Amino acid sequence: MSPTKPEILLVDDSPADLDLTLEALASSTYQSRVNTVPDGEEAIAYLHRAGAYSNAARPNLVILDLNLPRKDGRVVLADFKSDPALRSVPVVIFTTSHSRQDIARCYAIGANCYVSKPGNLKDFRTAVQAIEQYWFSVASLPD
Amino acid sequence: MTGTATRTASEADSSASDGKLQVLLVEDNPADAELVLRELRREGFDVTSDTVQTIEDFTRQIRTRSYQIILADYNLPQWRGVEALEVLRKEGLDIPLILVSGAVGDVIAVECIKQGATDYVLKDSLARLAISVRRALQEKAQRDQRQQAEQDLARKAAELTRSNQDLEQFAYVASHDLQEPLRMIAAYTQLLSERYRGKLDAQADKYIAYAVEGALRMQTLIRDMLAFSRVGRNGVGSDPSDCNHVVEEALLNLKASINESAAVVVYKDLPVVAAERIQMVQLFQNLIGNAIKFRGKQAPVIRISAQRQGLHWQFTVADNGIGIAPEYKDLIFVIFQRLHARDEYAGNGVGLAICKKIVEHYGGKVWIESELGHGCTFYFTLPAHQADEKVSHVPHQT
Amino acid sequence: MNEIEVDILLVEDNQDDMDLALHALRREKLANKIFVVRDGEEALDFLFCRGAFSQRSFDHPPKIVLLDLKLPKVDGIEVLRQVKSDPRTRTVPVVIMTSSKEERDVVNGYDLGANSYIQKPVDFNQFRDTVKLAGLYWLVTNQAPSTNGVLHKQEQKA
Repeated sequence: MSPTKPEILLVDDSPADLDLTLEALASSTYQSRVNTVPDGEEAIAYLHRAGAYSNAARPNLVILDLNLPRKDGRVVLADFKSDPALRSVPVVIFTTSHSRQDIARCYAIGANCYVSKPGNLKDFRTAVQAIEQYWFSVASLPD
Repeated sequence: MTGTATRTASEADSSASDGKLQVLLVEDNPADAELVLRELRREGFDVTSDTVQTIEDFTRQIRTRSYQIILADYNLPQWRGVEALEVLRKEGLDIPLILVSGAVGDVIAVECIKQGATDYVLKDSLARLAISVRRALQEKAQRDQRQQAEQDLARKAAELTRSNQDLEQFAYVASHDLQEPLRMIAAYTQLLSERYRGKLDAQADKYIAYAVEGALRMQTLIRDMLAFSRVGRNGVGSDPSDCNHVVEEALLNLKASINESAAVVVYKDLPVVAAERIQMVQLFQNLIGNAIKFRGKQAPVIRISAQRQGLHWQFTVADNGIGIAPEYKDLIFVIFQRLHARDEYAGNGVGLAICKKIVEHYGGKVWIESELGHGCTFYFTLPAHQADEKVSHVPHQT
Repeated sequence: MNEIEVDILLVEDNQDDMDLALHALRREKLANKIFVVRDGEEALDFLFCRGAFSQRSFDHPPKIVLLDLKLPKVDGIEVLRQVKSDPRTRTVPVVIMTSSKEERDVVNGYDLGANSYIQKPVDFNQFRDTVKLAGLYWLVTNQAPSTNGVLHKQEQKA
């Protein structure tokens, strides 16, 4: 139940943050395959395997930023979690917002967990690695 | 009769802007009315007047014209002159009213004054009238001045509050929004440093190091500014805090520097205060952290105690560090003010400013006593919590 | 139980598993605010602030619920269903922690809204490590919703 080559879908509109996350994931022991999309609409298309994403692999984990252009992260989350085919995929909200309202609302929509992007590099890497370690070594994922 | 040269400056001040004293007479006897006016003019007042006899006329007059003084007879056919006071109250007018009447006895006279009449003058002692009028006008002028001053004060206070709120809002938003781009700079300069150290030239290594240092310092600064601007943002919380637990939490947060410096913090039986816990932790943490940072050659020993003073507790945080010179005793609480070069002691001078802001937020004071080379003692006051005060802590050492 | 803040609600009827979990959490100093209930009914009473727990408030939910599936009185799945379908309790993170390896239990759990699913390792040491890592992840890395009051009012407006 823990995949050997986990598939991660990373949704973030900031190339700088994408690179940071990719860098943190690349230096871990998990050989995760990371697919990135820059906004909410692409994320939905990817998950539904629509259009250009018809051959997309089903992700084992979605790491989702909230403040995205076009379709906001909360809308994307609501979309996944209301789709019976997709709702069991764990979604980690990974965002700079510390707002209590955002946190509460995400959980209500069905986010599996919520991690605030740390301000410094070391903590950022630690957080990303903690996410990988928990979801790929501790938790059991639906196949 | 016109005014004579005996008109004094105070009369001029008390009368209307065109120099006239506007009088409303409440009198049914024309001869008595004339006597009163004559007396006023004889004493130098430039009087214009109206006379009324009924309460309806009185009410109409005070509504339509402005008067500086009302002279009323006590006994009128259909009403007691003193009832005019009730009308004035209802209309919300503050016009001095002097009763000018025949003898009605001390009891009634006193009663009238109790009800709000400024004075009582007998018709056969009209010589007193002028003095009475002058005094009444003076007192009214003083009342007006005071009221004006109070209104100005209230308006200024409101402006100040609004301006403060704007400033806090600005500081908060600025600090908050600045964090994001700063995070990028800090992260990527560090990544550059990691990836390219030793691969470019020594100059590049140095430049990147400076950039990293600057970014990290700025991150700390903005975080501190945010903390500073947050004090007082959410109003005064009244959840009590047990200072023993507060200190425990602060020590937990300072674990690394306590271990590093072999610091010993002594505290016992600290009280419960009427102040929010998060702010209390910040307050104690900053003070203890400060004491540890500015240590001398010996390991820091910090003693925390509290003494009840009426509705307050006065806390003492004493250390054995490097101390400060007396001339800087007030300066150290100023935001961003530092007393040492950056390479001597780290920090950006916000910690103590935050302490001061927190203490003052709860109506307390903070001050310091110190001698250079002989440690510092910080004193500050906080409101006591009224209900059950648990002071059952055993002397504690870390 | 009054307004004391509870970080972890451990729903576990097996004494050994409970002891082991508490031990693991205590070592990481995560056990200060942990509360244990032994069956599904108690768990529901706790989370819905009723019965013996009527002094609890919906505004101070635990940061994480570690939920076994095989429970007396009311089973774990039913607890999960009720918690995740009520707006007052829906935002509380619930992690299923059970001995079941069945794939359908895993999928079912996630489908019903479990935030995560952990299979209890048989090995003593692995079990301890798993609990420790789970505790650290859900209490330190993760941000739990701090008060439900915020959301509750919003939902009423909508």
